[in-house]
Amino acid sequence: MAVTVKPNTSFNILRREDLFRNPPKDKSAFPALLNAVKPHIESFNAITAEGGLLDLARQDIGVKCVFDGKGDGKGLGNKLSLRIDKIYVGKPKISERDKTTLRREIFPAECRERHITYRGKLSVKLGLKINDGPWVSQDREVGNIPIMVRSNRCHLENLAPHDLVERKEESEELGGYFIVNGIEKLIRLLIVQRRNYPMAIIRPSLAGRGKSYTNMGVQIRCVRPDQSSQTNVLHYLNDGNVTFRFSWRKNEYLVPVIMIMKALVETNDREIFDGLLTRKDMENTFLTDRAELLLRTFKGYQLLTRKENLQHLGEKFRIVMGVPPDMSDVEVGKEFLRKIVLVHLEDPRDKYRLLLFMVRKLYALAEGTCQADNPDAIQHQEVLLGGFLYGMIIKERAEEYLESIVKEVRREVQRGNVLDFNNKEHRTRMFSRTSENIGNSLEYFISTGNLSSPSGLDLQQVSGFTVVAEKINFYRFISHFRMVHRGSFFAQLKTTTVRKLLPESWGFLCPVHTPDGSPCGLLNHLTHRCQITTTTSDVSSIRKALVSLGVISPATSPLPHSATVCIQLDGCIVGWCSPKLAKVVADTLRFWKVEGSHGIPPDLEIGYVPISRGGQYPGIYLFSQQARMIRPVKYLPLEREDLVGPFEQPYMSIAVTPPEIAPEESTHVELDPTNILSIIANMTPFSDFNQSPRNMYQCQMGKQAMGTPGTALRYRSDNKMYRLQTGQTPIVRSPLYNEYGLDNFPNGMNAVVAVISYTGYDMDDAMILNKSAYERGFGHGTIYKTEKLGWTEERRSRIKESKFLFGFANPDEISANIDELHEMDESTDEAKVFKRKAFQRIGIRQEWLRTVDMDGLPTIGQLVKDGDAVAVYHAIPKEGDRTRPENKVFIYKGSEDAYIDEVRLLGSEGGDNKPMQEISIKYRIPRAPNIGDKFSSRHGQKGVCSQKWPSIDMPFTESGMQPDIIINPHAFPSRMTIGMFVESLAGKSGALHGIAQDSTPFRFDEENTAADYFGHQLKVAGYNYHGNEPMYSGITGEELHADIYIGVVYYQRLRHMVNDKYQVRTTGKISELTHQPIKGRKKGGGIRVGEMERDSLLAHGGAFLLQDRLFNCSDYTQTWVCRACGSFLSTTSSVRGSGFGSVVRCRRCAVPATGLEEGEMIWEDGLGGRFVGGKDTTVVAVPYVLKYLDVELAAMGIAMKFNISP
Amino acid sequence: MSSTTGSQREAYQPPSVGSSGVGRSYAPAPAGTMFYLCAECGVKVGINKGEPIRCKECGHRILYKQRTTRYLKSKSIVPG
Repeated sequence: MAVTVKPNTSFNILRREDLFRNPPKDKSAFPALLNAVKPHIESFNAITAEGGLLDLARQDIGVKCVFDGKGDGKGLGNKLSLRIDKIYVGKPKISERDKTTLRREIFPAECRERHITYRGKLSVKLGLKINDGPWVSQDREVGNIPIMVRSNRCHLENLAPHDLVERKEESEELGGYFIVNGIEKLIRLLIVQRRNYPMAIIRPSLAGRGKSYTNMGVQIRCVRPDQSSQTNVLHYLNDGNVTFRFSWRKNEYLVPVIMIMKALVETNDREIFDGLLTRKDMENTFLTDRAELLLRTFKGYQLLTRKENLQHLGEKFRIVMGVPPDMSDVEVGKEFLRKIVLVHLEDPRDKYRLLLFMVRKLYALAEGTCQADNPDAIQHQEVLLGGFLYGMIIKERAEEYLESIVKEVRREVQRGNVLDFNNKEHRTRMFSRTSENIGNSLEYFISTGNLSSPSGLDLQQVSGFTVVAEKINFYRFISHFRMVHRGSFFAQLKTTTVRKLLPESWGFLCPVHTPDGSPCGLLNHLTHRCQITTTTSDVSSIRKALVSLGVISPATSPLPHSATVCIQLDGCIVGWCSPKLAKVVADTLRFWKVEGSHGIPPDLEIGYVPISRGGQYPGIYLFSQQARMIRPVKYLPLEREDLVGPFEQPYMSIAVTPPEIAPEESTHVELDPTNILSIIANMTPFSDFNQSPRNMYQCQMGKQAMGTPGTALRYRSDNKMYRLQTGQTPIVRSPLYNEYGLDNFPNGMNAVVAVISYTGYDMDDAMILNKSAYERGFGHGTIYKTEKLGWTEERRSRIKESKFLFGFANPDEISANIDELHEMDESTDEAKVFKRKAFQRIGIRQEWLRTVDMDGLPTIGQLVKDGDAVAVYHAIPKEGDRTRPENKVFIYKGSEDAYIDEVRLLGSEGGDNKPMQEISIKYRIPRAPNIGDKFSSRHGQKGVCSQKWPSIDMPFTESGMQPDIIINPHAFPSRMTIGMFVESLAGKSGALHGIAQDSTPFRFDEENTAADYFGHQLKVAGYNYHGNEPMYSGITGEELHADIYIGVVYYQRLRHMVNDKYQVRTTGKISELTHQPIKGRKKGGGIRVGEMERDSLLAHGGAFLLQDRLFNCSDYTQTWVCRACGSFLSTTSSVRGSGFGSVVRCRRCAVPATGLEEGEMIWEDGLGGRFVGGKDTTVVAVPYVLKYLDVELAAMGIAMKFNISP
Repeated sequence: MSSTTGSQREAYQPPSVGSSGVGRSYAPAPAGTMFYLCAECGVKVGINKGEPIRCKECGHRILYKQRTTRYLKSKSIVPG
């Protein structure tokens, strides 16, 4: 890796300034940053490149056939063969219908600004053949697919920073993501099983396949050259039999393994027996018994030759495979073996040998001579790269497309329609009926992360493949690209085994950088030096090299007595050797590999598993393909860089530091101990001084800090964007900070921090902010919110006419009258009403004109409050309609006052001359630090601002210095963030001497302590060696009794702010059903006083408060109730009846009037019924829900009776 | 490679003179025309109400609204 500038810690102010003013015209100054996203971009490039994965995929799809059933009636009729000759992915361009635009390219910035998708045309060259005629090709356009930014289909590929800035990008634009509807999305890296390695597994679920199935199996994930995969499993049965299992289009199938072996090659039982067992194994009755049984049970099928086996398989799988009807059973059988069995290998002989090996390994597992491989260890894992997944989806869609054409033809034939393949019109009809939009389904995939696939793509999940690349700050953004997820399937798992940090991960996955909470351990981050291979290395000379080392060819049968160690290259058996020779082979290969001789590729993984007692199954496993994690370490014999992978690492001796090198044992040494940390974890200063969870917290909080997402904010339209106005470069940082160019994205501020208990406002993780520091701009930030206004046309509707128009319906009338109207008097209320009406007469309101310009769009720079108009529009009057349409407005909805920062007028794509239908408004909300806002140092020490303390009352040192921030000493003893103390010392001396301090972890030890190193620096500057200083109370001026620890610490302002969180309610919205307050901050709801809160109020005797919260402020209602029968429901108000007590009567206690009663006794209900009695009613206060409950119960036929007293 | 992708029926045709909006920007703008900045070439573009959003020089599809220099008459202009 070429590093342009040797990493250092110094500030490099001039260089930074120069880079910023004159972005380089050749290449980026920060190659390390580009390397971080390389796996994403390269994997995408691999699919679209010439002869790339799409090309391999279309070959794998092959030819689809359909018959028209015409002809002499007996045969199948004419045969139409279909294949894909080529798949092209074009660069993003504007539609060809648009004929006026000069520049045809669409750049990513435009897509962000217009909230559209960055996509390029996908076209397919379809090959058609009728019977045995020649292939005719035809181009079909199959939609637009999202294009990865900075990939080989992007206009920004290989652009220098200078040119990127010209294209409205960051100077260090990384790419690696897609833009869908203006949102940046990326396909997250996913952990999958290591390819082409037969893994021994013990899993209870394996036993569930049927009777006599055990929990043991050997599983291999075979990957085709086009990166699509197919998993094969061998099951071990109780009696020693072995079954082959695979899943095809989400269905599982079981086949006897011998049947597949015999179908693969022309073989016999003897050869299988010999291939299975070495001479040494022949003495082992466990193995011989099982091998014998395996062959004996297969006798029952009565299938002897290869042809018979192929025929049998072909017959059984004909329907499943969906092959054309003119294929013979043997051909179907071969197709089955090609498409399903060990698909990473081409040669059936290789497949046969690997199957034998797998059966042997399975028997070893059953026998207990080898251990099960741990599927949760990174040793048996690789990374599914976004580009490869994308390619797999395109492949599947393309195959589906061919099949849909076939299906359409078949349907036509069944209907009895005439379909002449030679007729061009018939052909176009055939295409017009099929859905030709592959692009849409890919856009759906990227925007939702949902995979809708008939095969499931051999993956364990169907959703959660994509995430939004949030640009809260740069740390957050860059972490997305280094993130690897274990798979959403594991998130639901109750067991924690998958989440555990295993020693195998050393150097590949960062042990610190994982979130706490539900995704803990499932969402990991790659270490900063970990790379992922995206191409296959050249392995053409490996076989030759092996032979020269004395390895025996796999074709030798039977193998010599000593040849017990199998050598595999990417899942293909390339030789056998003795255990003694195996070590020599592995060591020599490594030497040659690092040396670069004998044609051994430098990133070859040489997994030498030595023979052990019950350990991992021995062998030499070489891996050269894509998707492997590799990392550089130093190879001692040659003092050169070697790339190691997770499979080989557990069997290697890699010293962490040069003093740890064990003679005769260590072969490697780490280039740097910090290589085990991710980019973000490396940014924690002195992280080796901290308690480890604190470093984890910092990795989380660093990503939540309000920072600088970039410099091209002007051309972004994220829904919400945070920005720190006064970002600084940290005084204390590691060299990696410069290497990654993080000065372009400041994430916090250097603050003078005193650790002191002062005023009491710093209790419980609160911190006091110096008011003067705040006034100087400390922590000031801004939030940008973007809103799109307008009317998007419905895709389906044929009506292309727009219905609305931005602007005033009567601009001439308004501009003619506006001056006069503004001058109008508004001194009295009457005059105000008169003025309002005058405005109303011309169809507007006066207050609109404050924020809306004459074009109906908001005025830039204006302050808008909740409810202010931001845009005026009106309906387009229908033809002939001469009345003035009504002016309507879009309203700014937001509790905070905002400024109109930018207004974009978005034109429609395509050549249609439609008027403006969409605008995009960016609001700017200033957010100065406030009481309640969250801050944190870089050591997991977060706190909330509790006061902005006046400068005059702050404590001061002998030199008159005041802290910017005061934190409480109690924040330290239990958390043990010594790193923060060291940072404080280092920051202080750095500030005094004007130098940047190196904070790389593992640089100090017991003899050379950090405290001493920085203490001496302080001493030289005339300060206390320990970092303490005498301080004076700002209030009394008296010296404080203790010296105060004061220094400079880099503080981050986190994005959690009170303004987004506070929730207050006195009265407000209530639920319709229960009349209780609704929940939700946005809707102005309340916070629930729940059971526990109730309990504590009860325990404290706060009955009156409880009554207030739960009743008076909730659903207090007064209602009538009958004292006699105790019912709410039977009360009814009497229509007639003043002068005789209550007006509400109980209908239930009343009896119909006979007419003989005195007139005063009789009352009448609303329907005119006359009654007597039911007088005993009263008003009670009850919760409204009680009435609701009563009604609900009444509906069930249950009456509630309330005893009313006194 | 991409040159072969485009099918013949929808090939790009260069704009013919007179049919497009090019050159129209020199004509006197009618009253009520607002001027916006083209996001691509930075030129001032006059757009009347109801006209399509298109830069008259380069045909770009995004226009920025300018910060106004006119005196705003409304009294409540003062923030707060």
